[in-house]
Amino acid sequence: MPRLLGDDFLVPSLTPHNTPFFTAGSIQIQFCKDCGHAQHPPDDVCYACRSWNLEFRAMPGTGRVESAVVVHHAVHPALKTKVPYVVAVISVDGAAGCNVMGNVVGCPPEAVKIGDRVRAFFDEVKSPQGDSLLKIPNWERA
Amino acid sequence: MHGKAVVVGVGETTYYKHGQSPDTEFQLACQAIERAAQDAGLPLSEIDGLISYMDHRNSPLRVAGALGMKELRWSSTPWAGGGNNSAACVMEADAAVTAGYANYVVAFRALAQGQFYRLGSGAGIAAGTASEGLSWGAPYGLMTPAQECALHTKRWMHDHGVSQEALASIALASYANAQRNPRAVRHGQPLTREAYHASRWIVEPFHLFDCCQENDGAAALVITTPERARDLKAKAVPIVAAAQGLGPDIGANAFQSKWFPGMYYENVGRMIWDRGGIKPRDVDVLQLYENFTGPVVMALCEMGYCKPEEVDAFVADGALEGPNARLPFNTSGGNLAEAYIHGLEMTIEAVRQARGDSTCQVKDVSYSLAVGGPGYAPGSAILFGAAL
Repeated sequence: MPRLLGDDFLVPSLTPHNTPFFTAGSIQIQFCKDCGHAQHPPDDVCYACRSWNLEFRAMPGTGRVESAVVVHHAVHPALKTKVPYVVAVISVDGAAGCNVMGNVVGCPPEAVKIGDRVRAFFDEVKSPQGDSLLKIPNWERA
Repeated sequence: MHGKAVVVGVGETTYYKHGQSPDTEFQLACQAIERAAQDAGLPLSEIDGLISYMDHRNSPLRVAGALGMKELRWSSTPWAGGGNNSAACVMEADAAVTAGYANYVVAFRALAQGQFYRLGSGAGIAAGTASEGLSWGAPYGLMTPAQECALHTKRWMHDHGVSQEALASIALASYANAQRNPRAVRHGQPLTREAYHASRWIVEPFHLFDCCQENDGAAALVITTPERARDLKAKAVPIVAAAQGLGPDIGANAFQSKWFPGMYYENVGRMIWDRGGIKPRDVDVLQLYENFTGPVVMALCEMGYCKPEEVDAFVADGALEGPNARLPFNTSGGNLAEAYIHGLEMTIEAVRQARGDSTCQVKDVSYSLAVGGPGYAPGSAILFGAAL
């Protein structure tokens, strides 16, 4: 399906920290292989035990809406035809304490409530340079 | 007493709507510093330290040259964020002059958003690629501080049953107080509760009037030791205490569950009360940085003014409006209605209250507190005592 804010809307610049999340086609969260701590966004060091022994793991792809707000003011001309839209903070099943950001699509913006169960889907889009295929996670109500 | 230094001069330029300054940002910076030095009765050449914050564009090297400073002996900037450091920059000045590394340090902030980009326009781009730091939110249209703070506020209001009226009361207080202040950009434009509710949504739960203005202008303070202050003409306002920092388990990653929703002011409050040897109710007048009204009510609670469940009543019925308010608050009009010079104009107002020359002067001020921007860590606060 087309991206909520348009297929040519801003995409992530890929780095070692965010490449799994935005290309794997699953919800990828960083875990510490030594202590099991989950953290997001990913970093070079485990915030619980300072280990450098970190890996990405695929989560089930479900979660819960922790907060959701309806954006009415378009901060860029490209968004004028897209408002109102919802941005949400979503807690990720399988990764305690880890919240990600996203939209919740497929329902009116005002229908999204704190506590809603949501499921991830992935928007496939080429990077502007055309050198990589992104699979950008987004969410719909479960 | 933790603070040892004193503020001996304050100065600002005319405050403009964003993009309307006829002067460049660097000219504004120099003018505000000149006026602060003039207020202190200090020759510009004697200034030997410069501090700003928020990735300030007017480098100390350029400012020192243009002002004809004999010697630059201290330059620094508090790390990270933006207006959260509007009190920390004066705290650093206290550290610099108290340690003897510099004699007269200026804390300043200048912005001309016509010359440069407009802060509230988010990343400023909508196509192309977002850097790693922005990548977690920007592809979803989560691009501005208003949206980030709205996510915190929405959850916090939901958890504690806080009403939209609490947010309205913050906006109304700032606007009411700005009507007494001819410097205020919103002077002559009073706000009613009806007009607040009728204003358009920016991002729920923030109406237009829940959001700070964006402005052009500059503000500056001169800080020195009490001994040096005796030779200057201006009243010296003592720094009683200051605080900056992060609490345990609070990192830079704003939306993670340990600190969501939160404004990062529990630890700043704890430190400022401990160091000042006072309690929240001992503060005679409070300037609390409004980036948005929601973070203000959250920070009030985190700093110990009241419980979240009590905040509706705490701010109701004009409790924050005017010099005789239950809690005199944002007495110059604050970021919402005086000008948004990233909160440094509010630190100046806290000094004016301690000197007795505010346009909304509170009687017999013993303690005047300025609190930096909530929602972005590290937070900061600075407590002033009555002028010497």
